[in-house]
Amino acid sequence: MENGKLNRLNELNIGESGIIRKIYAKEPLKSKLLSMGFARGERVKVLKHTLAKNTFDVDINGVNVALRGEEASEIEVEKSEK
Amino acid sequence: MKEIKIALVGQPNVGKSHLINSISGATLHVGNFSGVTVEKKEVEFERGGYKLKLIDLPGTYSFHSYTPEEKVTKDFLLNGEYDLILNVVDSNQLEKNLIFSWQIADLGKPMAIAFNMYDEYSRQGGEIDTDKFFKLTIIKSQNVSAKEKFGLEELFEKVIETYEEKNTPRIYYSETIEEEIENLKSLIKDCKFDKRFIAIRLLEEDEDIYKIIHEKPWYVDLLSQIKSSKHRISIEYDNDDVKEVFFEERLALSKGIVSQIAKKARRETLSEKIDKILIHPLLGLPIFLFVMWAVFQATFSLGAIPMDYINSAFVAFGNWFGNLLPNGLIKQAVIEGIIPAVGAVVMFLPNILILFLGINLMEQTGYMARAAYVMDGVLKRFGLQGRAFIPLVSGFGCSVPAYMAARTLKNPKDRLITMLVIGFMSCGARLPIYVLLVSAFFAPSIQGDVMFAIYIGGALTGLVVAKILRIVLFKGEPEPFVMELPKYRFPKLKALLFDLWVKTKMFLQKAGTFIALASLAVWFLSSFPRTDIVKEYSVKIAQIKSEAKKAVLEEKMNREILENSYIARIGKLVEPITKPLDLGWREDVSLLAGLAAKETVVSTMAVLYGVGNTNESSKGLIETIRKTMPFTAAVAMIIIVMFYSPCIAAMSTFYAEIKQWQWRLFYTVYPNVFAYVAALLAVGLIKFLS
Repeated sequence: MENGKLNRLNELNIGESGIIRKIYAKEPLKSKLLSMGFARGERVKVLKHTLAKNTFDVDINGVNVALRGEEASEIEVEKSEK
Repeated sequence: MKEIKIALVGQPNVGKSHLINSISGATLHVGNFSGVTVEKKEVEFERGGYKLKLIDLPGTYSFHSYTPEEKVTKDFLLNGEYDLILNVVDSNQLEKNLIFSWQIADLGKPMAIAFNMYDEYSRQGGEIDTDKFFKLTIIKSQNVSAKEKFGLEELFEKVIETYEEKNTPRIYYSETIEEEIENLKSLIKDCKFDKRFIAIRLLEEDEDIYKIIHEKPWYVDLLSQIKSSKHRISIEYDNDDVKEVFFEERLALSKGIVSQIAKKARRETLSEKIDKILIHPLLGLPIFLFVMWAVFQATFSLGAIPMDYINSAFVAFGNWFGNLLPNGLIKQAVIEGIIPAVGAVVMFLPNILILFLGINLMEQTGYMARAAYVMDGVLKRFGLQGRAFIPLVSGFGCSVPAYMAARTLKNPKDRLITMLVIGFMSCGARLPIYVLLVSAFFAPSIQGDVMFAIYIGGALTGLVVAKILRIVLFKGEPEPFVMELPKYRFPKLKALLFDLWVKTKMFLQKAGTFIALASLAVWFLSSFPRTDIVKEYSVKIAQIKSEAKKAVLEEKMNREILENSYIARIGKLVEPITKPLDLGWREDVSLLAGLAAKETVVSTMAVLYGVGNTNESSKGLIETIRKTMPFTAAVAMIIIVMFYSPCIAAMSTFYAEIKQWQWRLFYTVYPNVFAYVAALLAVGLIKFLS
């Protein structure tokens, strides 16, 4: 398997997805993210973001989650092709 | 009859309240969890020779508490009295929901699961094998649909079986973790909790559990074992964060079990399609603003229709009730003090109900989360959260429903900051005051601009103050914004109506009792002392035949009473303080009366300036104050009205919502200081410029 580029989640564009590699967030954000299903190895897809990329709407395991750019930047993903 | 106490637990948006509303033959009690404004619902009903009592705990994403609601749930599960846990799970999100199920299964208490929303799930081709689920986890479960009312009776049969058999879950993690749990278990001695549970929570660094056991004599022996266990797990999983290891374990467990028990449903795409429009990067904001506009139009124009009826109903009631009472002080206090004031508050009930109907619709359909998503970028700059938009805009109508609407903010800090600045959004009752002063002191060509500036200025100041509060009083990391966008769903009428009924009851109870007392006090302060005046005038009035002249004389008497009343004395007492603002004692008294209700500011001015009982459009009062009040005083008064404390109804709502005394005190003091300083600056500036 080819190794994709490592990005922060907030760097993805609409329609792009990636596999979560690491969560940098500290508590209590980390627990919150984990309980929403943001765990290593999971695929996350950016469904939408607001104009200025302030807020993101992502799909994680069939669950729609809104989070801010700051929070998204705490999640490292490996971008996958298509 | 034997009672089974059942803790109803689940993640948010799994349809728990739906389930409660769908139980036939049940009686429901609504209250608050002690010490917090978190709604507590209890349902009682009979099945299979038992009395089942369900306690609905607030929706929780995980056992690591985060919001006040989650704390309530955790606290209840740890320390509350219950026989059994009923965990409600959304069939459409099995994997995510079950992560939480495993956490509560660790408690080692009897537990059953309801796979809710099974109708949706099976329509899309999904299936859950509950027998197999039992074999894997020893948890009895049932596929149910609260919406279509199937599976509920079978669910309660399984709940009773679970209770009778004392059936506890058996969930096992990977070998390494199980070994360390065993190592810790052997050192844990007497405790009210299951040893396995304690061991797991210690490994997960649960502070609540540490607090509970750190006084036990065996705690010290445990410390080194915890450290070495965590160390071993960290190495084995190549992760320093053992909590994260557990999350990943539970997620893996979920996936493994789901793959064995469930046939996957087809992906539902309706929500995605709707979201393509509703939260479109460009269209999202205008659509949201339109929705809000519609809600507020309905709230304040539709809600205004019954106002007159309510008013006349209270007047009629007052008259009728007055006839029953003997003449005297009590009658006057009731008829002139309590009934009109309570009526003035109850008049807001239609507004509140319509606003809440709108908010509930937005919550139930799933649009509220989208609104927060759309607005968050803007409000974030001011240290507020996306959801704060609704209470803030409600504030332009009336602060009372606005404070209640702030409940949609789950984080206590976000909620408090929002509530502290709601008062800066000028409410509807302040409009007459602005109209009076602006039309008296500004040229007709700029009056519209001045009005606009007042409203926008108030709102912007509120946002800036929110930012300052966030920086000064709530230092540290801003609260994270991570929120599930639930699927769009059709609202349920029964749930909507029930919620409105609960809100109505609470509003009438809370505001009603407090308002009655407060208005009695204000009435007393503005009507006494008066014995001498009444004596003097009653002689005069008795001599006159003409009804019209009698009325004039009575009005004069009332004015004289007010001018000599305790409240006027207070007004004269504070006159030196407001002197730098060029305000006289009449303005002071009017503003003080405005603390009771903003509507009374103009009428009090009218009485004190001796132009009779008049409304804001009346030319007489405008002419009079234009002649007697300096321009600086008018500006000062406008600014004070913009920022100082809202009315008693609003303040009592705030006190009811916020329990901490220091915040109540702060809320009571700071707007007035702020208003005073702002007015002082404005007056100083005007004087400097001219």
